[in-house]
Amino acid sequence: MASSTHVGGSPLPPTPPQKQGRRRRSTSGIRYPRWFWPLFAAPGMLWLALLFVLPVYVVLAIAFGTIDPLFRTPVPTWYPAWWDTTQLRVVLDNIFGPGAYLGPAFVRTFVYVACASALCLALAYPVSYFVARYAGRRKVFYLLLLIAPFWISYMMRLLAWVNLLSTDGLLDRVLVGAGLIGSPVNWLDGRPVTVVLGLTYGYVPYMALPLFAGLDRIDANLLEAARDLGASRARTFWRVTLPLSRQPILAGLVITALPMFGDYFTNDLLSGSPSTSMIGNLINDAIGTPGQAIQGAVLVVLLLVILLLPMLWYVRASNREGAR
Amino acid sequence: MAAALVGPKEGMMARDPYEPSGSARPLSRRVFLARSAGAALAVSGAGTLLAACGKPEPSRPSAAGPQLASPEHPVTWPIAGDNQPIADGLEPERDAVLKIYNWTDYIYKKVAVDDFQKKYKKYGVKVQISSFNTMDEAIAKLRTGQVDFDLFFPTYDRLGKIIQAGLLRPLNHSYIPNIEQAWPVFKNPFYDQQWRYSVPYTIYTTGVAWRVDKVHEDVAKLANPYEALWHERYRGRVGLLDDYREAISMALLKNGITNLNTGDPKQVDVAKQDLLRLAKAVKPLVNVKDYVDLPEGRTWITQAWSGDMNNAQYYMPKGQDASVIRYWFPADGRGSVGNDLVAVLRSGKNPVLAHHFLNYMLDFDVAMENMGWNGYQPPLTKATPDQMVGDEYIPKTLATTVVLPQDFDKGFRQLELPPEADNLWNAAWQQFKAGA
Repeated sequence: MASSTHVGGSPLPPTPPQKQGRRRRSTSGIRYPRWFWPLFAAPGMLWLALLFVLPVYVVLAIAFGTIDPLFRTPVPTWYPAWWDTTQLRVVLDNIFGPGAYLGPAFVRTFVYVACASALCLALAYPVSYFVARYAGRRKVFYLLLLIAPFWISYMMRLLAWVNLLSTDGLLDRVLVGAGLIGSPVNWLDGRPVTVVLGLTYGYVPYMALPLFAGLDRIDANLLEAARDLGASRARTFWRVTLPLSRQPILAGLVITALPMFGDYFTNDLLSGSPSTSMIGNLINDAIGTPGQAIQGAVLVVLLLVILLLPMLWYVRASNREGAR
Repeated sequence: MAAALVGPKEGMMARDPYEPSGSARPLSRRVFLARSAGAALAVSGAGTLLAACGKPEPSRPSAAGPQLASPEHPVTWPIAGDNQPIADGLEPERDAVLKIYNWTDYIYKKVAVDDFQKKYKKYGVKVQISSFNTMDEAIAKLRTGQVDFDLFFPTYDRLGKIIQAGLLRPLNHSYIPNIEQAWPVFKNPFYDQQWRYSVPYTIYTTGVAWRVDKVHEDVAKLANPYEALWHERYRGRVGLLDDYREAISMALLKNGITNLNTGDPKQVDVAKQDLLRLAKAVKPLVNVKDYVDLPEGRTWITQAWSGDMNNAQYYMPKGQDASVIRYWFPADGRGSVGNDLVAVLRSGKNPVLAHHFLNYMLDFDVAMENMGWNGYQPPLTKATPDQMVGDEYIPKTLATTVVLPQDFDKGFRQLELPPEADNLWNAAWQQFKAGA
């Protein structure tokens, strides 16, 4: 993530006291050419250019390209001046226009992601708080537990859920056995609740880690000072801990919400019903349909634009925080 | 378009159908669409990128636009001067690697690899199977010209395109005497008159399947069995094939429209409205795992491919019997039917061996062993209903999955759609899938 400005302990040497022509003087007195330090960023930049910028350009070229008349596969238009916006207008019309049938899927996606992100936060905050403040010597152990789900692929874990949630699965048996529900519930018959819980389950570790990192960095002296000055535990939390964890919360929300927007297989595996289709499913379906790959690419571009807004906001917010 | 699947016979354990590919037994074609789609896009994108970075250069359609084959308008594909069949009586290539490009898990490895290698041991042949999940992905890859597969399993609605694009090699019939074992219709099919480029692989019907232990009505006896899928009492237990042609065709047939290639917006709209009603009424599970979901009880009633239901017997949970599964296809044969093909690719390095392979797969014993694994019936005259049920390739209770030659006379085909009609169908399907 592009936070970084506020991260302490920068590995870079302190800013040079003065410029000497085109060269900088390091603290040790060794002279480095001007390009020396930026060079360290080169592998990362190259990586980004090859695996992010170029693919995005390919998606754009497809979104504004044409369809091969014989095979109905997309033919990218590489030169922007020739870009054709017909399909963009078709898709926008299907989202906002009269009889827009893609609209509900967009609204649904936002609602699901909002619910799941909120749940992630509600679940991960107390856990991270506990690990950061009270785990003591066992901190590493708890941290390992937090990361443990990453050892198994998300798809595998979801498949396990499919079994647990099936009508004669463990969950139904426990609930019926405990007398909480009268008859087994068919959790997999296209319920928004199941999808939201699936998303929450899948992405909650991504929330816990930045939260832990942030909470762990809060200076215990500040909390002590608050208590010394007469604040109650609750007041200390509200007035000191929570404001200080604003950045980690933001980071966690961004890291969890962004991939959720593009998620399609949580829905495919836990519901499979069109009544819970999300944007990711629309994209996935369009790309797999002859002649509709362009619409798929347009949806990707739209999603990218939509997600860019909270991302920019986040970058701005963390820059402000860093400048403080 | 049959789903590609596998029956774990021969002592194989019924493994989890979701196992990621790479292992021997994963999903049917479209399930992994998701994962493969990105790759397909990347492949096609990269291909074009390599080809030319200039102005968009669409492939050349034939002078009169692409020809569309149908039973009423059979097509004889021309044989280009620079793409002649191989000569008669050539020896199979020695120490060759015969490369097969097939749907995921649509051919029995023992038959296609082990037995074939044994049979052609003298020539030191090695067989290599590569797989794809969608026809689009496959064609995109073949069009890059970077691959040298010998054999390909196209669907007949795309056959014309890949022939026009020069991807296939015309057949020399002298190598394939076993064509005599196939139904006579396949010596002159409408999509490839004189079988110049293809031999048949499997045949199937699309109907409705249900479990008698859950669905307490005889679906087959209903005035309109398709309607059972709309019954609200099966809410959350209804399956629909995730295939725009199959699903919309089913809705058309339910409404008495038998032109499964209609370009009439009114007719497509009738089907679409009915599917939207279905979505509201029963919240269907839309995928191509009919052969897993029904035996496992995730669905009680589902639109289904005949071969899949035949394959479903291997997916029954322990202690349960496949006799609870029933399959209905119109007894008068007026339903959706189809078949899959095998063809020889021009890019292959072993055309003679490829011809031998086609002949081999048309052999009765070989084809039946293959069916015992993937559930799909080969169109051979010796494979009669009595024989297939008697030899337990098909459970008695599922005798309705047998495809008969007359089904191909009376059944309706999903043919290649002209672009405008295809857009109409796609838009309807997109609306259904979006859960509007």
